[in-house]
Amino acid sequence: MVARQSRSDRRELVRERVFDAVSLTAAVALVATIVLFFLQLFIASRDSRAAFGLPFLWRSEWNPVTEQFGALPMIVGTLITGFGALLVSTPFALGVAIFLADYASKRVAGPVKSLIGLLGGLPSVIFGLWGLFVLVPLVSRFEVWFGHLVGSEALVTAGTTGVGLLSAILLLAIMILPFSASLILESLIVVPAELREGALALGATKWDTIQNIELPYVRRSTVGALVLALGRALGETMAVTMVIGNGIRMPHSLFDPSNTLASAIANQFLEATSPLYISSLIELGLVLFVLAILINVAARMILRRGVET
Amino acid sequence: MKTNRRFVTATAVVITAVLMLSGCGSTGQPSAVKALTGAGATFPYPLYFKMFDVYAGATGVKVNYNSIGSGGGIRALTDKTVDFGASDAYLTDEEEAAMGAPVLHIPTCIGAVVLSYNLEGNPALSLDGPIVADIFLGTIKKWNDPSIASLNPGAALPDLPITVVHRSDGSGTTSIFTSYLSAVSSHWNSAVGAGKSVSWPAGIGGKGNDGVAGMISQNKGAIGYIELVYAEQSAMPAASLRNSSGAFIKPSLSSSAAAAIGILPDDLRVMIVNSPAPDAYPISAFTWILVYKEQQYAGRTLQQAQALHNMLTWVLTDGQSVNESLYYAKLPQAAVEKALALVNSMTYGGATIAQ
Repeated sequence: MVARQSRSDRRELVRERVFDAVSLTAAVALVATIVLFFLQLFIASRDSRAAFGLPFLWRSEWNPVTEQFGALPMIVGTLITGFGALLVSTPFALGVAIFLADYASKRVAGPVKSLIGLLGGLPSVIFGLWGLFVLVPLVSRFEVWFGHLVGSEALVTAGTTGVGLLSAILLLAIMILPFSASLILESLIVVPAELREGALALGATKWDTIQNIELPYVRRSTVGALVLALGRALGETMAVTMVIGNGIRMPHSLFDPSNTLASAIANQFLEATSPLYISSLIELGLVLFVLAILINVAARMILRRGVET
Repeated sequence: MKTNRRFVTATAVVITAVLMLSGCGSTGQPSAVKALTGAGATFPYPLYFKMFDVYAGATGVKVNYNSIGSGGGIRALTDKTVDFGASDAYLTDEEEAAMGAPVLHIPTCIGAVVLSYNLEGNPALSLDGPIVADIFLGTIKKWNDPSIASLNPGAALPDLPITVVHRSDGSGTTSIFTSYLSAVSSHWNSAVGAGKSVSWPAGIGGKGNDGVAGMISQNKGAIGYIELVYAEQSAMPAASLRNSSGAFIKPSLSSSAAAAIGILPDDLRVMIVNSPAPDAYPISAFTWILVYKEQQYAGRTLQQAQALHNMLTWVLTDGQSVNESLYYAKLPQAAVEKALALVNSMTYGGATIAQ
């Protein structure tokens, strides 16, 4: 009896130890992967950093023929499309989440939720094709209408193709909507029922409850959801490439063709041969990596300040 | 308990390190003599796929070709992980120096780049080099520009803005097209230049031939450049171009092959754009297979070198019959002879391989 007891104890101990090792391995591997990513990008962009230094970030020339490289047009394109998409999609994401959490009956909410999941799982090339064949012609018509409205000769006559920043923003907004909507919904669902019932018992309307109880309660996770969605928008490659026009120049309006860090890398890396060119493309990756980290840190700081006040 | 934790940590670190390092050691060395491996350009991929299929049927030697892009092919050959590379542009002196050993350029076919467009009724269009350069520079902005009209007296050219469409990805097609523009327009040469990717002064970019073709067919007033193969297969209009002897030439297999007739250098490292031949279509170019001249490297056997030599000889002779069925132009006889001389100059340990 005693011997059996200690054997099973020992087995349990081994099991604990193995589990500890496996989970610690997973954690260490995750951190190590990120650190190694950064180191690899940093080392492989050595030629480019040596040639251009920090001004790489604000030079606007990208010329593979003369080997003069600067990342500004891509950084600007990435930030405008990323934040633009976030701006457009956030009201919809909040609306969808609140509707599903507070208004929709179970019969409606179920199918809508699975549709959102489906939208989130579509490959981005499908979004890209839809963008190219449906969204872009609509944007092109809007562009002509807008050009006539503001009396801009340039807008109407410059060849209104519809591809450009605006199309990319709208497409990205649709692509990131499922992510932010379902994450916000998950946090709305776990708002304690007592809080909601308490507010209603005090005579608050549904809108009062949402505004004063639920939204403040989920503020933290909402910002988290939006940062995740922004991360996806910044890194999206295939769909953006198909609708943004891929012009590596500084954009002057929302209708101009532009480019993002991710799509420039995807477009040019395969055929790049000179060491400086390859190195500069890798530095674009480094810039995107650092940009993503900065946005995460900024979101954390906003959150912390939000909690203190 | 303390040692326990240290043990766990050590195990974790070791496992992580092993996982991280296990990805670094693999190489693509072909081991069997009955198989050859190559990598590179996407443009000739359909041709190579068909050729190597026929070759395996005839000889039993399997040739694996990965179309990872010219840049990737050159890198793979530099790293010595393949038997041959393939590229749409010949190596610059700088790139060849980075290879560490002499490299031979073996042309396999001739490709042409055509200007396709989208106009009401798609009238036949004739253009010349300087006009095309000005369109892509953004200085000719409308279809009814007098310079275009003077070459097309019969066509009804609309008062429509020209939408320039170019490749967004680096490509041999862009290299051929911009080499042509640089050859015919000093303004283009100084403002933009030639390369697989350039800094485009105007227009929008589409990814791949299909991306450019899609943008052209979606936008009235668009013009862009695509490979002849692609234009033929998707029945898109293609402009005739004035060549260096003044004739307007429609792009075709025979007119692009005609570009390689004339004086060719012995190493065949040459752009045949703007060819002096009287019936040549001017935007034509070779695509090459790249091999090391000295085949004894990275532990390769003599049999492997011989297999490569035999395969290249076949591609230049019997294999050429595959070309036209897939819309790639055949090499003219003069080019074949020079290419065979290059193949026969391959050595193994300093001794010639040719039997």
